[in-house]
Amino acid sequence: MSRNKPAKRPRLTNEGFLGRLNFFFARALINIRQNIFIHLVTIGTIAIALLIISLFLLVYVNLEGAADVWSNRVQVTAYFERELNQQEITTLKTGILALSGTDKVAYVAREEAVKRFRARLKGQESLLDGVTADVLPASIEINLKSGSRSSEAIEAYVVRLKKIPGISEVQYGEEWVKRFTAFMNFMRLVGALLGGFLLLAVVFIVSNTIKLTIYARKDELELLSLVGATRFFIKAPFLIEGIFQGALGALLSLLVLTACYFGFLHNAGNFVSFNPASVGLSFLPVTHLAGVFFGGVCLGFLGSLTSLKRFINV
Amino acid sequence: MVQLHNVFMSYQRDVAALNGINLTIPKGDFVFITGVSGAGKSTLLKLLYGALQPSRGQVVVDGQNVTRLSRAQIPYLRRNIGVVFQDFKLLPNRTVLENVAITLEVLGWGKKDIGKKVYHILKQLGLEHKINSTPLRLSGGEQQRVALARALVNDPKILLADEPTGNLDEENKEQILAIFKEANIRGTTVLVATHDRRLTENCHRRMVVLEKGQVVEDSDVPQ
Ligand SMILES: Nc1ncnc2c1ncn2[C@@H]1O[C@H](COP(=O)(O)OP(=O)(O)O)[C@@H](O)[C@H]1O
Ligand SMILES: [Mg+2]
Repeated sequence: MSRNKPAKRPRLTNEGFLGRLNFFFARALINIRQNIFIHLVTIGTIAIALLIISLFLLVYVNLEGAADVWSNRVQVTAYFERELNQQEITTLKTGILALSGTDKVAYVAREEAVKRFRARLKGQESLLDGVTADVLPASIEINLKSGSRSSEAIEAYVVRLKKIPGISEVQYGEEWVKRFTAFMNFMRLVGALLGGFLLLAVVFIVSNTIKLTIYARKDELELLSLVGATRFFIKAPFLIEGIFQGALGALLSLLVLTACYFGFLHNAGNFVSFNPASVGLSFLPVTHLAGVFFGGVCLGFLGSLTSLKRFINV
Repeated sequence: MVQLHNVFMSYQRDVAALNGINLTIPKGDFVFITGVSGAGKSTLLKLLYGALQPSRGQVVVDGQNVTRLSRAQIPYLRRNIGVVFQDFKLLPNRTVLENVAITLEVLGWGKKDIGKKVYHILKQLGLEHKINSTPLRLSGGEQQRVALARALVNDPKILLADEPTGNLDEENKEQILAIFKEANIRGTTVLVATHDRRLTENCHRRMVVLEKGQVVEDSDVPQ
């Protein structure tokens, strides 16, 4: 039996940032193995929570998509007393295309207008007997970009449009645009409220689940502190576990979401035989998928971080 | 190694668990803290490893004033102190090896060194055959020795033990006491809190008797 000598301590193989990180990862993996049930519960909770969020996102994205299709109907028309010549048309088109918010410009000659009118009155062409092309005005039809279809944006657009020499009479479906804009604003508000509420619920449920799982291991936290572990040392494996849980939960939820979406398309396709693109149905864009994944990682990390705060003051 | 100057400690207002303690324990000492249940023994030990802060007075351990340490400094104090808790605080879902290894992992030891060192200490305590068992499969005496192994594995400067022979039979008590003595011989300052008079009678060491949070007898100080 030798007396205690400081020199007796071996070199610290876990010294250095990488060595530490290595140790924390190994520790986290062992912890997951030893508390597998707790981890499965947390991963499941995160997966379900994120599935709800991403289903909501999916519905919302598709509604926005449908609204965008509808808003294609928004059209600004400038009317002219007389037929324009080619030179005038080109000048006007160039001027209009230069306005920000313009998507497409088309000149509709009187002849064309009459043809359209006739087509619309199919079967009752007799009503048009005696109507000549002079009765209808020539016009330039303007389609707007999807960002400029709200009623305020259109009003501002029309003001700028009228400044172009030669354009005086401008019309657009003012009432329709107003109602459509109001509807869209309402939908976005409901979406934001619902989404916010869902998000709060998810954060609440997940953070409480994590808190419970950490509570179940508070003896471990306490003991580590009592044998002289720094707070970082105690926290690090738990945080890695949290990130891992979040990532796995997110992946799981995205997997189920994908399965749900394509399962739905498949089954619906059998009934109505439609092509998803033609109805405007789409899956979440990659940015959203990445967002859900990142959200899961944050949820796991921050949930663990805030829960640990409660217990590490032993 | 340990000094307490006029230490008061109360959990609730007007109820003092420690009532003006003055105590000096030099390096390499072996001291029994005794007294009936509720006398303040556990409270005194907790002050030494920074689990509690005194209401008044100074606590100096290994040259550091514990009352002045920041939360970030406390871990480094604890690395020099081995504690055997009254309730052992063994982690039930880890093996004996892992339970004892915790002390060294915290210090940043490598896996190989930890394995060797833990095996060595377990062998000393006659537990090497239980190295892969979990604590719940061990007898009370074995659990106590695992807790001791965890406290001693890094050769701490100070060993604190709270009622280490609580529910043990005579044979186990002797064994535990022998381990304390051995650690003491190797240079560790040992403080054992116990209400078990029989333990102290068989073992002639310095004895500090607490009563209602005060030192009423200290065999080191001439009466
Ligand atoms: N956590 C606590 N909260 C309130 N009072 C406590 C607490 N721990 C101990 N006490 C009180 O402090 C006194 C001393 O307790 P303790 O130090 O545990 O005595 P001993 O270890 O000698 O049995 C007792 O009166 C006990 O009731
Ligand atoms: Mg006690």
